Amino acid sequence: MINYHPSIEILTDYAAGSLPLAHSLCVSTHLERCHECQQQIRKLEMLGSHLFDQTKTDSRQLSNLKDSFFEKINAQAEQERDSLKIEEEPAEIDWDNYAIPKSLRQFIKKSYDDLNWMRLSPSFKIATLYNEEGGAQIALTRVKAGAHMPTHTHTGDEITLVLEGAFSDESGVYRQGDFINRDASHKHKPIVTKDAECICLTVLDAPIEFTGWLTRLLNPIIRRYHPHSSR
Amino acid sequence: MERAIQIEPDEQRVADMLAIAEHRDQAALVRLFDHYVPKLRAFCLAAQPGANLMADDIAQEVMIRIWNKAHTYKPESASLNTWVFTLARNARIDYLRKNSRHQSDIDPEYLWQNVVDENADPFKDAQQKRDQERIQQGLDKLPADQKQVLAKVYLEGKTHKEAAEELSLPLGTIKSRVRLALHKLTIYVKR
Repeated sequence: MINYHPSIEILTDYAAGSLPLAHSLCVSTHLERCHECQQQIRKLEMLGSHLFDQTKTDSRQLSNLKDSFFEKINAQAEQERDSLKIEEEPAEIDWDNYAIPKSLRQFIKKSYDDLNWMRLSPSFKIATLYNEEGGAQIALTRVKAGAHMPTHTHTGDEITLVLEGAFSDESGVYRQGDFINRDASHKHKPIVTKDAECICLTVLDAPIEFTGWLTRLLNPIIRRYHPHSSR
Repeated sequence: MERAIQIEPDEQRVADMLAIAEHRDQAALVRLFDHYVPKLRAFCLAAQPGANLMADDIAQEVMIRIWNKAHTYKPESASLNTWVFTLARNARIDYLRKNSRHQSDIDPEYLWQNVVDENADPFKDAQQKRDQERIQQGLDKLPADQKQVLAKVYLEGKTHKEAAEELSLPLGTIKSRVRLALHKLTIYVKR
């Protein structure tokens, strides 16, 4: 049962296509598990189509564009006729063996284990999936069952999506599929439930900052791996 | 009476899609081109006024996708307008990510592909028509300020935050206008 969903603002921006790609990645991953939000998106896309249908068109002559379009289509058809070889389907990968969401398969080809994990403490690992130039850092965090994550604050917005396992903090318990959006004012100390390790997808607009006396030593490392401060 | 006139061309276009999927009917494609390309261009120009080349590129790209993907369109899961809107939205995102100052390697193809409701539901078709009608009728009755914000987000591709900055209004005002509008259109039900 999913209890934490993206806000209606985030869903609207996603359906409209105005949400940054990194955030859209989290929404998309959430949607794969959330029927309720899928329904919401379906309606928001309907709204988009009505607004699209009502756009004011200009009276520009489109004959040139039309000619060039049909030229392309016909060239494509000819190519299809010429090439006797039918395009080979890419080899089917048995994704069902892995619980990797479709939206993340552009970054994770086979298994979470194959990623380049960086160990920050005996129970806490992080793997960067992608750093947007001048944008957000997209990463996976992996914390052992029952372990505390170091206390940290966010220096920018953070979205967390639970992929496997569960964790809790002062505000609640988060399970598979839950979408958690925290802003810069938030300071928290998550604990992973005892039954299983917890893997989360996180998108950080700015690096997190550890506030514990010892874990503070990790801050320069964390900052170094964030696109905003790597220069 | 008015309704009958509205629905018929829509049905013609769905038939055109079938004709393209089944026997590559170019006459059908011409009709769809004439109907959609001006709208597609307007959709792009709303986000980037004056960018005619970009608008032509994206409109052309969407028409190519319509031609190549006609067989994947399922009338029972979305109206043709909704399907074309999602193609246009995705093509615009893709164009901007490849051509903007901050290029991104996140491939949008992976992000919107799965938002198809695959649950077989015998009432889905009827439900969908009801939702469509509610949204269509509600949209015509919305106050101008609410409609303006929706247009900023959907057509101009602005986030809530950017819309607030542009209209010099607090973010909270923008949020509540969108929420009010979505509530009236029965899209948003508070959980």
